[in-house]
Amino acid sequence: MKKTLFIILFVFLFQSLIVLFYSVSTEAHKVSAYVYREGDKVIGECYFVDGAPCKNSKVEVYDKEGRKIVETVTDEKGNFSFKTSNKDELKIVIPAGEGHRAEYTLAALEQVTAKNEIKKTGTQQSRQAQELKLPESLINKDELRQIINEAMDSKLQGLQNEVRDIRKQLDTINYRDIIGGIGYIFGVWGLIMMLKGKKNAS
Amino acid sequence: MHISEGVLSTSVLFTGAVLSIAGLALGLRRIRNADIPKVAVLSSAFFVASLIHIPIGPSSAHLVLNGLVGVLLGWAAFPSIFVGLVLQALVFQFGGLTTLGVNTFAMAMPGVVVYFAFKKFIKKGRNTAFIGGVLAGASAIILSAVLISIALLETEKSFIGIAGTFLAVHLPIALIEGIITGFVVVYLKKVKPEALG
Repeated sequence: MKKTLFIILFVFLFQSLIVLFYSVSTEAHKVSAYVYREGDKVIGECYFVDGAPCKNSKVEVYDKEGRKIVETVTDEKGNFSFKTSNKDELKIVIPAGEGHRAEYTLAALEQVTAKNEIKKTGTQQSRQAQELKLPESLINKDELRQIINEAMDSKLQGLQNEVRDIRKQLDTINYRDIIGGIGYIFGVWGLIMMLKGKKNAS
Repeated sequence: MHISEGVLSTSVLFTGAVLSIAGLALGLRRIRNADIPKVAVLSSAFFVASLIHIPIGPSSAHLVLNGLVGVLLGWAAFPSIFVGLVLQALVFQFGGLTTLGVNTFAMAMPGVVVYFAFKKFIKKGRNTAFIGGVLAGASAIILSAVLISIALLETEKSFIGIAGTFLAVHLPIALIEGIITGFVVVYLKKVKPEALG
């Protein structure tokens, strides 16, 4: 009797969950952010656990030493961007109010540049040779760089969007998490029961 | 209702942790072995309740069910809610591991308070029990909102401001939970009166 009662209670709660899980909600619990660099620009997006954007929220950026360097606000779609010449590690904090807060650590650019330099010195000689062969007037170096950048940007845009979507998916809750969590709860209480039972017996 | 990591100062976190540990110790001692399935079911109910969002105006809040947990468990609400919160923090990243103490106290204590406040109502006839359940479910949410506002006092500077928004958002939740708690109490009274003891 007791068992059936609790099963009924449980099924009722679970069903209401399933019905309401996909209902519209404008604000959820967890705030997440996805941030990336594009040259000097840092671009980010802030969203709640259900993928809804985090509108008009303050964004604070701290440098490696913990000093606040930039403060900006997200737009209607939860996007924000700012320019910085700081290549070090940046910490982006989004205090979404009412005790909610997101933190994102943007990796430093140092490693990338260091690698490039090593490559540069290694291939310097061959590059010099190449440069000698090319007539300078034919292609301007800056122009070439711009063309490559443009081509890469359009290609990377798709990839970036995909990464963002995957991150969003990872941040949202799925049924596996819910059912797994319930399983853990019963496991924990089962363990407590076992330990208490032993104590009573001895 | 859950406070995230990195929002509160160490002293607030520490106070919350100490209060929760006291509650947990008391709760664990009160649980009889036969009650454990009930505690586990209510842990799970609490765990999933936070996923049920109710949109209210520009923002939305979720169910907490701490009133229901409190009415059915008394002091055992502490361990029950604590286990639910640990899993929520680990699985959904709701709240956080460092804020577990504060969050547990803010949600479990109102449950314990309503248990003692409305115990007499719930032991009486059907109608009185229903009213007791409604009041217990609703006041637990309001008390929790007040406790969370107190915890955020240091961060948010204006208590009236944060408590105001918190209460405004949670009033509909209080109403919904009051009704849920009322019906569960009446139902249990009919089919399993000893579960309310």
